[in-house]
Amino acid sequence: MRTPCPQARADPETRVAVSTGSRPQILDRIGALLRMDDGTGGGEALRCDRVFNRWALRVHAFQRATNPALGRFWSAESSDWRRIPPLPVRAFRDMPLASGPAEAVFRTSGTTGGRTRRGEHHLPSLDLYRAAARDNYRRHLLVPTDPGPNRASRNRHTLIALVARPRAAPDSSLSAMVGFIAEEPEIAARHWAFDRERGIDLQAVRRAAAQSRDPVLLIATAFALVQLLDALEGLPLILPAGSRIMETGGFKGRVAEVDRTELYRRVDSFLGVPCSHIVNEYGMTEMLSQAYDAVAGEGLPPDRRLHRFPPWVRTRALDSAGLSLLPPGEPGLLAHFDLANAASVCHILTEDLGFTTADGCVRLLGRASGADLRGCSLTAESFLRRVAPSRASSHSPPPPPNPS
Amino acid sequence: MERKPLHGWHWPDGDPAIALHATTAAGGLTIRHPGPDLHRIPGLVARLRKGARALGEIETRELTTLLGEICRRFLRRLDGGAVERAAANAGISPAMMREILEGMSATWNGPALRRLVEAEFPETAVLDRFVQVDGRMVRAAGPGCTVIVGAGTVPGVTITSMIRALLVRSAVLSKPGIGDVALTVRFARAAAAASDRLRGAVAVQYWPGGGKGWGEWEGTLFQAADQVVVHGGDATIEAVRARTPASTRLVEHSGRVGVAVIDPARAPRAAAEVARAATLFEQRGCVSTQLVLLLAGTGTPRPSQAIASAWCEELARRLAELESSGPASAPDPGHLSRIHQMRGAARLRRAAIAPKAHPRPQLWCGPDGRWTVILDRSERFEPCGGRTIWVAPVRDHAACLEALKPVGPMLQTVGLAGLDPEETGFTEALAEVGATRIVPIASVPFPESDWLQDGSRPLGELVRWCEVRRPPEAAEPSR
Repeated sequence: MRTPCPQARADPETRVAVSTGSRPQILDRIGALLRMDDGTGGGEALRCDRVFNRWALRVHAFQRATNPALGRFWSAESSDWRRIPPLPVRAFRDMPLASGPAEAVFRTSGTTGGRTRRGEHHLPSLDLYRAAARDNYRRHLLVPTDPGPNRASRNRHTLIALVARPRAAPDSSLSAMVGFIAEEPEIAARHWAFDRERGIDLQAVRRAAAQSRDPVLLIATAFALVQLLDALEGLPLILPAGSRIMETGGFKGRVAEVDRTELYRRVDSFLGVPCSHIVNEYGMTEMLSQAYDAVAGEGLPPDRRLHRFPPWVRTRALDSAGLSLLPPGEPGLLAHFDLANAASVCHILTEDLGFTTADGCVRLLGRASGADLRGCSLTAESFLRRVAPSRASSHSPPPPPNPS
Repeated sequence: MERKPLHGWHWPDGDPAIALHATTAAGGLTIRHPGPDLHRIPGLVARLRKGARALGEIETRELTTLLGEICRRFLRRLDGGAVERAAANAGISPAMMREILEGMSATWNGPALRRLVEAEFPETAVLDRFVQVDGRMVRAAGPGCTVIVGAGTVPGVTITSMIRALLVRSAVLSKPGIGDVALTVRFARAAAAASDRLRGAVAVQYWPGGGKGWGEWEGTLFQAADQVVVHGGDATIEAVRARTPASTRLVEHSGRVGVAVIDPARAPRAAAEVARAATLFEQRGCVSTQLVLLLAGTGTPRPSQAIASAWCEELARRLAELESSGPASAPDPGHLSRIHQMRGAARLRRAAIAPKAHPRPQLWCGPDGRWTVILDRSERFEPCGGRTIWVAPVRDHAACLEALKPVGPMLQTVGLAGLDPEETGFTEALAEVGATRIVPIASVPFPESDWLQDGSRPLGELVRWCEVRRPPEAAEPSR
């Protein structure tokens, strides 16, 4: 819940450790703020509107001061984060948008923007990405199932990643995040079973599953998951009890030609992972925080799920004509204010449709693609694909590979 | 108020007893149409082939007159209610629908159809029988059954395609685009009512292309047909291509981009004409202008920027006027999203350049995403639709051609204003870059009946030729 602000809860600003060094202080402070979101306070205080607003305005002021383009784009100061115009994600294609030299550059897949006009997210601080992602994925994915007397010993997992290794895909934000997960103490063994050129390594998946004495954490784009199921050719590959799956991309309720409910049914049948243990992650290259629609082991049927961001993200649905704020329940274009984006662009306008709920959750309805109004004029997607065929990678779903 | 569902089919010999109905939503309208009943395909195609034989008995001259008369009656009987319904189906205003129909009527008439046939077949009788041409007998014939897959929401495109197929004596089964169902079904009914000899040769059925359960229907239908003509975007073309067997001829018309090249100093009315070219069809047509290359002159950058800026100002004023006289249809959230993304990105590009530096991108916007003018470099151009016009200043003809190179393979119509088409080989160069239609800007929205769509002959691409040569001894006695 976002309001009211509990008086007893301290503004985390008073408690964050302030580091000094070559990096702007605010980035360290935001990083510390995100790391403290462990359910005991810290980032939790951001659920209070007043506290969130204060941090949002600080980040906004920092970005205006350190990025001349953003300084002119946001020509005025604001007293309310809601009045700060969100920057469309397409702007990430046009220029680096960072408040400082980049430690890493993540690129969008170009599935809609064409391959040479890929969006680029320049990250002055990879630490911020890790801080934004870590607590969230731990709370949704690395939870013990079947808690009992051996709870500690049972919270060990074998990671099978159907995404490229971070080393092989240094510009993929998803690969970077899975790389963080691979380093977690709960991960007893890790297997990278996807290659950008060759696609899914089915034998590696089979071997890893057979050897694992722990539940498997399978991480895949929805497209890769479909590819894996197809590659099984009807022969089940039952994963150990307690296994769970994080799938991402294709969040529109449909994954390629497969309905999400149908996909989860197939996963249950062929991998032995029930719907309750499949978690959808909503993330994008242009945004360092993620939303999840379930905790592993507690997932509802797909059509009843909502995505929830951590407290340092605020999402609004905006009227698609005039970009005015819509009340909860009314679908519109989603805009996210993400404090973790402190070193790039904090307020972004996505091309995603959805609505918010009164308690700050989000129902994703799909990509606002304009597909209903096709004619014989060339669409932007086709135009960019024809103008610019080349490479790919991303946090968005990559083009489906050929199963090996 | 809930609207009555659109009737999304017309089959020869009246409506058959169709057991399986499907309903498809199209914006605020629903379309009722038969479901994917594979068993009905052989019978339907056989009836159409039979209808083609009856059609073949009509001589070309009579057929152009007959089709012209059908078009005349069809247009005359479109009363206010019918126009409103067709406009709602297409997602455009009734006023724009009327203007589109008026523009189409210039090509949907007997004399225009005769011109088309004569332009393609100097001996028009080759469509009726073998004719002696250059020492051989030749005959051109359309296939027995053509399936037409229409483009999404451009009204009239499917009818034009149907008329062409009928002119070469091919029976047609048309699948109109989702926004073109109302007009197409009405036209098919008008054709069937006008002539017994046409009745069996015309069918229309809407189905959600690529929709669940329809893949097998498409595959079976394309297998049964002799020819498939598809208009649409890349995804549509690729899907149809994948389902069309090698034994069925496939004619493709993919999405295209329209460009205007303007010399503002010599074309004072060009802004109004560009606004009209972009507004008609809501930029959904392959001829619709999306990009304007403005010959803003040489010299220092500042005057060029000033010229371009002033011209865009005028263009914005014209778009605003058109918005008040013929309001844009309410774009769907997807289009609005794209427009906001384009606008926001342009604003940021402008912000990234110091205020006194030139050239700086500029932006003019109508309310609620109704129209947009972006003044920026051509390298950043991408089509957006929804009355969004990208204006890129260029120094001269050479710079203009350079700017067009990346767009070349997708280029359709180039509208000219203030330029002499014969001038210094410019048209030659435009053709080399990829243009297939170069016309005055005022003529952009409505091509002539005999235009070379996508660089092809509209009837020529539909026919199969047969030649008869005499034995050598008969032609030239040996010594």
